Amino acid sequence: MSDPVVHIEGLIFRYPDRDPVLCDINLQISRGEFVGITGPSGAGKTTLCLCMKGLIPHVIGGTMRGRVTVQGMNTRKTEPAVLAQSVAMVFQDPETQIVGLTVEEDLAFGPENLMRPAGQIREAIPRALHTVGLTGYERRETYRLSGGQKQRVAIASALMMEPEVLILDEPTSELDPLGKDEVFEVVRRLREERQVTIIMVEHEVEQLASVADRIIQMDHGRIVADAPPREFFHQAALLRRTGGERLPQVAELLLALEAEGYVEPDDFTPYEEEAVALVDRLLQRKRD
Amino acid sequence: MPVGYSIYVEKPSYVHQRIDPRTKLFALCTSFVLALLFNNPAYLGVLLAGVIAIGLWARLPLKSFRAYLLFALWFLILGVVIWPFYISQGAVVLRLGSMQFTSDGLLFGLAMGLRVALMVTAAGVWMMSTSPQHITLGLLRLGLPYKAGMALSSTIRFVPLINAERATIIEAQRARGLDLNRGNPFRRAVRYVAVIGPMLVRTLDMAQSLALAMEARAFGARPGRTMITEIRLRRVDWYILIGCVLLIAVAVTFRVLGIGVLVRGYL
Amino acid sequence: MAKPEVVIDVHEVSYTYAPALPLALDHVSLQIHKGDFLALLGQNGAGKTTLAKTFNGLLRPVTGSVTVGGLDTRNASIASLAARVGYCYQNPDHQIFNRTVYMEAAFGPRNLKLPPEEVATRVEHALRLVGLADQRDAYPFLLGKGERQKLAVASVLAMGSPILVVDEPTTGLDLRGIRSIMTLLKQWNEHEERTIVIITHDLHIVAEYIPRTVVMAQGKIIADGPTRSILSDGAVLATTGLKPPQITRVAQRLGHHGIPPDVMTVDEMLSHLRTALGSDTRARSGQPGRSM
Repeated sequence: MSDPVVHIEGLIFRYPDRDPVLCDINLQISRGEFVGITGPSGAGKTTLCLCMKGLIPHVIGGTMRGRVTVQGMNTRKTEPAVLAQSVAMVFQDPETQIVGLTVEEDLAFGPENLMRPAGQIREAIPRALHTVGLTGYERRETYRLSGGQKQRVAIASALMMEPEVLILDEPTSELDPLGKDEVFEVVRRLREERQVTIIMVEHEVEQLASVADRIIQMDHGRIVADAPPREFFHQAALLRRTGGERLPQVAELLLALEAEGYVEPDDFTPYEEEAVALVDRLLQRKRD
Repeated sequence: MPVGYSIYVEKPSYVHQRIDPRTKLFALCTSFVLALLFNNPAYLGVLLAGVIAIGLWARLPLKSFRAYLLFALWFLILGVVIWPFYISQGAVVLRLGSMQFTSDGLLFGLAMGLRVALMVTAAGVWMMSTSPQHITLGLLRLGLPYKAGMALSSTIRFVPLINAERATIIEAQRARGLDLNRGNPFRRAVRYVAVIGPMLVRTLDMAQSLALAMEARAFGARPGRTMITEIRLRRVDWYILIGCVLLIAVAVTFRVLGIGVLVRGYL
Repeated sequence: MAKPEVVIDVHEVSYTYAPALPLALDHVSLQIHKGDFLALLGQNGAGKTTLAKTFNGLLRPVTGSVTVGGLDTRNASIASLAARVGYCYQNPDHQIFNRTVYMEAAFGPRNLKLPPEEVATRVEHALRLVGLADQRDAYPFLLGKGERQKLAVASVLAMGSPILVVDEPTTGLDLRGIRSIMTLLKQWNEHEERTIVIITHDLHIVAEYIPRTVVMAQGKIIADGPTRSILSDGAVLATTGLKPPQITRVAQRLGHHGIPPDVMTVDEMLSHLRTALGSDTRARSGQPGRSM
C-alpha cells in the first residue's frame, strides 16, 4: 500500500495493572477507504480507535508499545492538538460528547480551540450542517435534539476539524432505528462526497456491509479477519467461533445453502439485493 | 423528558438582544447596592417597582415574577414579626404582654422584606433576560480564564442531564421498592444513599466522557480560544453604565444625609 | 380452553408529561395475560416506556385506569406494586450502589420486607440464574459492563415478581450478550411461568424470541398480535418507520415462488427453500448424483 493514511505496527497496549487489551496489531488503511470494525465486547475495538486518535497515549494512561502513524505523524511523538487536525472521533454516547448549548456553539468548539479565525469558523458551520442534513439548526438548543440528531451534530463537529480520518465508535448503539438510519445516511453521503477516510466500529452488520470497503474482525485484542464484505462474511466458521457478531441474515442464509450444495461459493453475497436476485434465480430455475 | 437548563427565556426584547451582558451584570450589582443603602420601605418599594418595570420592558411574562415575590413574602412576614423586637423607635402600635410593637419596627420589617424582594427579583430578571452563553461570554471578556468559563458553561449544559439522571435513578430504585416518602427525616435521608450513590457514579462517568470528548477536539491545546459570538459595548451600554454610577453616587449621598433611611444605625 | 387470567388490564389510559405537550398515551387499552411474553415495539417517543411505567405505578394515568393483579395502580402503594411488577432499567448504573453483589441483589427483596431466609433463597437463585453466583462478594463497580447488567437483572429477578418489565435488554450488547440475556428471559417466562414485557426496537430479537408483539406510535397502540403476523406486516411497521427483519423482507420479495410472507428466522427460510428446491439434483449446481 503506497502511503497509507493510517499505519499501525506491532501495537500492544495494556491499561495500568491489567492484561493487554491490544496484542500485536498490524494494520494499514489507505486514503479514502471505509473500514468497518466488528467484534465481541472487550475485543479492543474502542481501545484501537483511541490509539488511532492519539488519545492513547496522550490522555489515557497505560503502557503502549509499537507504532501508530497517522498521515505520516507518529501519534506518540505528535501533540494532540496537531493530531486533532488529522483525526476526528465520534463517540458512542450522544449526550456527553456534545459540549455546546446550541448546535452552532458545539460545531465551533473544536476550531475555536485551535484558534482558527472566527470568520472562517462561521462560514464552515452551514457547510458542515448541510453534510449531516441539519441545515438551519444553528440556533437549536442541543438538549432538545433527538439521539439521531445529536449524533449527527457530533459528526458535523468532527468534520469541522477538517480531518483526513474520521473514526466513529459504535455511533448508533444508543439510537432507535430512526436514529440509526439517519447516521448511516450521513455516513453513506460522506463516503460518496468527501475524501475522508472513515473507520467505523459497528454491530449493525447489515448496514455496515453496504457501506464498508473492508471489514475487520477483532477478538481478544487481535485482528482475526480483514477483508472486503463479500469475503469477510464468507468466513462463517471463523465469525461463529469468535461469537461476537451477527452476520447479515442473507449471508447466513447463503452460507447454509452453500453448505447444502444449493449454491456455489462464488455466488456468495452479503448484500440484500444480490441475495434476493440469487435465490429468485434458483427458484426460477427449479420451476423451469 | 428534556429539562430546561436555566431560567433564561428567549424574547425579542431590547434588554435581551441589545444590551451587553456586562452592562446587565453591572446594573444588577447596582440594584443590590441600592437595596442595601436604603431601609425605608417607600424607597425600596419604588426601586422594586422599577425593577419589575424593566422586567416588563424586557417582555418577561408577569407570572414569572410570582415565584420571586412569593419567596420574598416569606421574608416579609418574618421581618414584620421579628424586627420589632429590635427596633423600639416610633409610636407604639400594638402591645402583646411585655412586648411592644412600634410603627417604625413594623415598617422596618416591611423594608427588609422589600429588600429581599428587590434583590431576588433583580437577579431573576437578569437571569431571565441573559442567555447562559452571554453570561459566560461576558465573564470571559471581563477576564475570567477560559477554562473556568468552560467549566461554567459545561455545568449549565449538564444541569438538565444530571436532573434527568436523578429522576431516572429515583424511578429505578422506586421500582425496587424504595420508598422515600415514609419514615422520619433521618431514616429518609439514610435511604437516599440509594439515589446519591448511583448519581455520583453517573456524574463522574459523564464527566470523564465529556473530558475525553473535549480533549479529542483539542481543548486546552492553545493558550487562548477564538470565540465566534461577539459582544460589544455600544453607546446605550455606556449610557446605562454611567447612569448606574450616578444612581449609586446619589444613593450614597442620600444615605449619608439620612434620606431614605428610616432607622439610623441599621443597614 | 379459557384464556389465562388477565394480569395487567390497561383501560382507556391517557397520559401527558405536561399540559402543553401532546399526549404521551392516547386512550390506550391493552390486556396482558398470565404467562405472556410480549414485546412493546416502537420508535423513541412512541409511548412504550410511558405505558410500561403505568404498570408499576411509576406513572399514574391521567384518565383511565391500570389494574395489576387486581390492584388499581391509582390507589396502590409503591411496595405492593413493586412486589407484583419488577421493572428492569436499561442502564445498570442507575441502580447499583451496594458494596457487594449479594447486597445489591438483596436490596429489592429487603424492601419488600421478606423474611431473611426468603431473601437469601431468592438472591442465591437469581445470582445463579444470571451466572454471578461465584461473584457474590465482589465489588459491583469493579465488574465489567456485561456483568453489571446481569447484576441489575438479578436484582429485579430476586424480587420474585410474577410480572417483569425489561427496558431495552439488548442495547449495546454483542451477540453473545444478547443470546445470554434473551435465553435467560425466555427461561424465566417458560420455566418459572412469569409474565414478561420487553420494551425494545430490536426486531431481530423480537422475531427470534418473543411470541407476542404490540406496536406503538404517537401514544397509541397500532398493532397487537402474534409476532409472526405483526412483523410481516410491512404497512403497519412502515407507519412507525420500522422495517421487518432482513430475512422477512427477502421472503416477501420471493412470494411469487410460494415463499410465505411471514418468515421470521433464517432457519425457517431454509426449510421453505429446501422444500421448494427439493432434493432434485438439477436444482443444486454442479453436484450430480448427490442424494438428500
